[in-house]
Amino acid sequence: MPWRAREDRPADADTGHRVEQSDDRRKKAQFESEALVHLDALYGLAMRLTAGDAARAEDLVQDTVLKAYRAWDDFVLGTNCRAWLMTILRNTFINEYRKTQRQPAAVEFEEVQDRSVFEGLKGADPAELLFDRLIDKEVIQAIDALPDEFRVPVVLSDLEGLSYQEISDIMDIPVGTVKSRLFRARRRLQQKLYTYAREMGYIS
Amino acid sequence: MNTKKREMISCQDAVEKVYEYLDGELEVDWNDKVREHIEVCKRCYPYFDFERNFLDHIRSKGLRAEHSEELERKVRDMLRELG
Repeated sequence: MPWRAREDRPADADTGHRVEQSDDRRKKAQFESEALVHLDALYGLAMRLTAGDAARAEDLVQDTVLKAYRAWDDFVLGTNCRAWLMTILRNTFINEYRKTQRQPAAVEFEEVQDRSVFEGLKGADPAELLFDRLIDKEVIQAIDALPDEFRVPVVLSDLEGLSYQEISDIMDIPVGTVKSRLFRARRRLQQKLYTYAREMGYIS
Repeated sequence: MNTKKREMISCQDAVEKVYEYLDGELEVDWNDKVREHIEVCKRCYPYFDFERNFLDHIRSKGLRAEHSEELERKVRDMLRELG
């Protein structure tokens, strides 16, 4: 008899079930208010790590949110949620990236122009001449055009402000390699922006 | 006060360390050497200034990107399905 069964059920089991449900609802609400406010930051990082591939960036953000939600019980409220989420996103990206980086990329052996464009610029204020005329989109396109092994250190260092040691740990490469990749990546960026600025007639 | 004049590093040594210096990654000793060099070297100072400007410019682009409403919807749907 149904009514009998209901009565037989221990009272605390019923209460327990309700508590569980509301705990779950509370967890979800808490997660939404604490974590989802950082969607822009996550998407921004994902966009640069994936070189502007919006579909891949969205997948990366979704994976990150899912992992974060599953680990939400481990997150200490009041600590830096944004930093925690960014770390999950970075690690997710790097793990995926490593799978495709088994063999050294051809770019390592490519002849790279390592000179600073400074030498080629004539004028009272070369920096003002070159950089102040470039718009955000042009700079972002130049960053996206870098090969992965150069772009990732630039994103982590210049856009995220991480130290060489942190980048070394994340990418699992020696600090010396971080240094040399940053050096070459930045010189490439300069070259690219310089060439672009000339083509656009920003500089002569 | 230490009045002993430190031996000046060469332009080449300074230039090689430009990004480590600007990134704040040099150890105190080297950091001082580079700083002392560019303070007085009229060839290196504008160069360091140029590189600093370049990095500031890249950094100011930051990670600005607006997520789409569709992404937000996808994320919220995903959370809802997790039940």
